[in-house]
Amino acid sequence: MADRLERLLNLTAALLEASVPLTADDIRERVPGYPADAGETFRRAFERDKESLRHMGIPVRTEDLPNADPPVPGYRIRREEYALADPGLEPDELAALNLAVATVQVDGLSSGDAINKLGGASETGDGPAVELPSMPNLGPLFAAAAAGAVVEFRHNDKDRVVDPYRLSFQRGRWYLDGRDHATQEPRSYRLDRIEGSVTVGPPNGFERKPLTGRGMLPPWEMGGETPMAALVRVDADQAPFACDTVGREHVATMHDDGSVDLLLTVSNRDAFRSFVLGFLDHAEVLSPPELRDDIIAWLQGIR
Amino acid sequence: MARTSADDRLRRLLAIVPWVAANDGPKIADVCARFGVSQAELLADVDLLQYCGVYPFTADVLMEVRLEEDRIWIQYADWFNRPLRLTPEEALTLVASGRALLAVPGNDPEGPLARGLAKLADALQVDADEAIEVHLGNVPAGMLDTLRGAIAASRQVELDYYTYGRDARTRRVIDPWDVYAAEGEWYVQAFCHAAQAERLFRLDRIRSVSVLDRTFDPPATLPPRRVFSAEEADARIVLDLEPWARWVAGQYPMEAVEELGEGRLRVTMKIAEQAWLERLLLRLGPGATVVEGDTSVAPAAAERVLRRYTGTVAAS
Repeated sequence: MADRLERLLNLTAALLEASVPLTADDIRERVPGYPADAGETFRRAFERDKESLRHMGIPVRTEDLPNADPPVPGYRIRREEYALADPGLEPDELAALNLAVATVQVDGLSSGDAINKLGGASETGDGPAVELPSMPNLGPLFAAAAAGAVVEFRHNDKDRVVDPYRLSFQRGRWYLDGRDHATQEPRSYRLDRIEGSVTVGPPNGFERKPLTGRGMLPPWEMGGETPMAALVRVDADQAPFACDTVGREHVATMHDDGSVDLLLTVSNRDAFRSFVLGFLDHAEVLSPPELRDDIIAWLQGIR
Repeated sequence: MARTSADDRLRRLLAIVPWVAANDGPKIADVCARFGVSQAELLADVDLLQYCGVYPFTADVLMEVRLEEDRIWIQYADWFNRPLRLTPEEALTLVASGRALLAVPGNDPEGPLARGLAKLADALQVDADEAIEVHLGNVPAGMLDTLRGAIAASRQVELDYYTYGRDARTRRVIDPWDVYAAEGEWYVQAFCHAAQAERLFRLDRIRSVSVLDRTFDPPATLPPRRVFSAEEADARIVLDLEPWARWVAGQYPMEAVEELGEGRLRVTMKIAEQAWLERLLLRLGPGATVVEGDTSVAPAAAERVLRRYTGTVAAS
């Protein structure tokens, strides 16, 4: 396959060198290794090469030739679109990134090419200690969030138009946090519930508004009910887990026996009840009476 | 050795050429180690470079490769003087991996990884803090280091462990083999002396860990990494779900899902542990009806939780 590699290299050089788009005929004449006839064999070989280059991320543009009537398609690669901006990494920084990709494996995505583009790997660790699942739309959604491009996709049987703010990996799943165009509200979308592929709009398609706090709201704050302050006691055994889940800032009291009282704002009772019952008999709603009675009535309904 | 495709070789060359061109005659062995390529592969690929350039392929528009002793120079490769930009997937891999590792307790938030990540994000014009967030699961500070140290030194450890599925705390001695994060949680894989078998422990359920003086012989090969799942369970339950409880079918692995009409579902699922089922049924309340399986689980659990509320005076 040496001749194909040679042809691909020469094709890339020719397209990078071109200051005006090259026609298919230009390419056949200037890049060695193509069939001499401008027939179907050449057309197929050229299409396949173009596809190969684009597949590896080389931005081969199709542009109409200037001053041609009728329009004639031409091809080129713009240098500024081709080249990786130099991040200017120090050796210890490159080594740290290298260790990161050796330690954290995103399933199905190879990191070797990425590290090579940054100047190569010096060594690898003893296998990944962290595995992140990959999703079909992960790459495009990340690029869209980074570029500020509006995305469209089908999610839970509904077509959505969303300003993508960020990708978030929580409790073993990938989410897209963003603003839904239909409701103009912040929302999280589970990536595994997106059907088919994502359509990405042009860059800088929306203005970022600050999302509420760090991450998205906990479920018991995601509701239209009048917010209520609730005090929940969690036993010592479950306290560390509970504190991590709600955030340390919600710990109202830490008792000597290791149990904690959590102060939560509740605007979604169903979600709040669900959270508290997840602790079985290791947690108890202390106040307000309204929410406490709600739990009691719910449990009595199960008996 | 598997034959590498022309595409893969091109991808590799487009990374190697700018690096060699920017460094004054690096050692061939260093280039091979750095880019993970054998000397034979490297030499075959760069040999080809000498015939590459642009029309009319006269000496002044061809690349030049010079090999002297154990060193290599590449010149006149101006088309390829910068590496190819990262694909979205590559950028994601780098930034997500870096963010994930930074989130591991004990990592220096101002160390080389944080600095490298910030520079990379700058070059990619990505706000790394904004565009991606990775939570690997909760680990008490210091526990990861303690366990890693014990694994490295092959020392036994004693755990105070909370078994979520059985809702019980136990003390047990383990031989820790491996510690890793997968599917959002941290796990330690170990030989458990109480069970006399390989067991998996979640780090966020370890209340305390102490390293013992006793050592152990680690297995020659580790069993495959796994995560907690209900697959090994034998118990089965069949539930009818009201429309508002349909989310259960998307949240947990199901053996069978059947539409009952009007938005109701009948689902069959495996149950690993009693406490897990109790939680699910208490949360669902009237949203779920047990069609097959132990119908006493939910009432008994509800009774137990209620006992906590009766006789306790509300705080305010």
